[in-house]
Amino acid sequence: MNIAVLVKMVPDTESRLEVRDGVLEESGFKYMINPYDEFAVEQAVQFREAGGGKVTLVALFSEATSIDTDLRKMLAIGCDEVLVLRQPGYRGDRPAANAAALAEALEALAPDIVLCGVQGIDYYQSATGPMVAHKLGMPHIASVTKLELVDGKLKAWRQVEGGLQVVETPLPALVTCQKDLTKVRFPALKDIMFSKRKPFENRPVPAAAGPDLPCTAASLPPARGGGEIIDGETPAAKVATLLGKLRTEAKVL
Amino acid sequence: MSVIIIGEADGSAIKPASQQAAALAAQLGDSVGLVFGSNGAASQLAAPRVVSASALKSYDALQFAAVAAQVAREAGATAVIMAATAMGKDLGPRLVAELGWGYIADALEYYDGAWIRPNYAGKVLARLEPDGPFVATLRPNAFPAGDGAAGAVEEFGGEVPDSPAMTVGMESAGSGVVELTEAAIVVSGGRGLEEAENYDKLIRPLGAALGAACGASRAIVDAGWVPHSHQVGQTGKTVTPELYMAVGISGAIQHLGGMSGSKCIVAINKDAEAPIFKVADYGIVHDLFEIVPALMAALDD
Repeated sequence: MNIAVLVKMVPDTESRLEVRDGVLEESGFKYMINPYDEFAVEQAVQFREAGGGKVTLVALFSEATSIDTDLRKMLAIGCDEVLVLRQPGYRGDRPAANAAALAEALEALAPDIVLCGVQGIDYYQSATGPMVAHKLGMPHIASVTKLELVDGKLKAWRQVEGGLQVVETPLPALVTCQKDLTKVRFPALKDIMFSKRKPFENRPVPAAAGPDLPCTAASLPPARGGGEIIDGETPAAKVATLLGKLRTEAKVL
Repeated sequence: MSVIIIGEADGSAIKPASQQAAALAAQLGDSVGLVFGSNGAASQLAAPRVVSASALKSYDALQFAAVAAQVAREAGATAVIMAATAMGKDLGPRLVAELGWGYIADALEYYDGAWIRPNYAGKVLARLEPDGPFVATLRPNAFPAGDGAAGAVEEFGGEVPDSPAMTVGMESAGSGVVELTEAAIVVSGGRGLEEAENYDKLIRPLGAALGAACGASRAIVDAGWVPHSHQVGQTGKTVTPELYMAVGISGAIQHLGGMSGSKCIVAINKDAEAPIFKVADYGIVHDLFEIVPALMAALDD
């Protein structure tokens, strides 16, 4: 079983978001592994532990090397090898161009299963996974909270409005992972030591183009001022005032 | 310009979010509807002409994208609009890949050819100005529904490719559950509830009394009190209801990212310093275990 996991590096959720002249200030960003992709890594390692095979982590990023330590942690969790595609001018908000670069690298790996997170917590487009599947000519199942591999077929439970859609697919297939899918393990010390000997390749790839729409101007949403604190002698009085305001002032009830 | 609206059926009714998409599409040009799985829903979509692919009952990315691409090409369309539901978020990228068009995901606003969409869970807004064909998904409730009339329905006559994937079942979350991302009112609970059972005792009944969807902070999802499908915030769902009620939620920045686009925010928390009060329109600084029962009693009257 050949499993590939796509991992995106995203700005840390604590990053300061400043906009100057319609451009988001990104130079101070520190990057972390997209949390949804970690669920994919854990799932891939569980499949490998149960049925053998190899787990290859594939990431696409700029030429900055500051992310290697984070990716090595995924080797400690149980990935067998890491391939980082280093692309000049890489941007996280170009799913079509990024899917093209990732799909090209995946073709050589010929994976049976491709796993990735449902979305990046930077641009939330949920687009790269399905686009990679399209490029590779395989089906995809998105937003999966439970995944089973039985007799060479995947059975997936995907989050939809009001419940879960249960889908089966033969391999090869791509699955995008939701949060409830797995709990990511903490690697043991010996796994961290052992991970240092696993293959870690940085591969330069050319800049890519796609039909992605560039952001022509960034802005911060209008700041919400603190509102009104509702006073009252009793809980009932406070509640009555609140409901009155919701009905007549805000008109939302 | 010709615009395809992909409408979504909820049983035999068209989803309100699809009517919102139809209203926007009517502003952009001559619209043609496409509805999967239900002739009943197809006959309600506010578009002058609607193609009904009624045989396709279960969502399948490959088949739906192939049908949508055929309808778009046949109509000479230069835009496809749909709601950013579970289906829209999945179908949008597949269709974009199929057509090689630009993609606008989860749009919040449109004016004069410019679209606004959220980055970083809405903490930054990006402006996109497509000069070629594009697919856009619209955040449910971000756009108004119009008063356009439903049009003539014709059956889809093109080819539906085989898909290796197959839907083998649906597991319902339970009847009467309001979907978080489409709800007009959301009531969310957090760590202030102290124990898992208080979510069922306080938040769910309050949600039911308000006809609201029930959400949660990351803290209580990670603690296993409620499934992740309830989580509002940067690693959960982004919601933009008319009314968002945060009960016992302190308001970490990741949570605020998922709900600060709500029209009206109410915070109930005994800690007056909680950051949630900085974004709330109305705050009650009081023990939630007294306020929620009082609220239930008042709503009962």
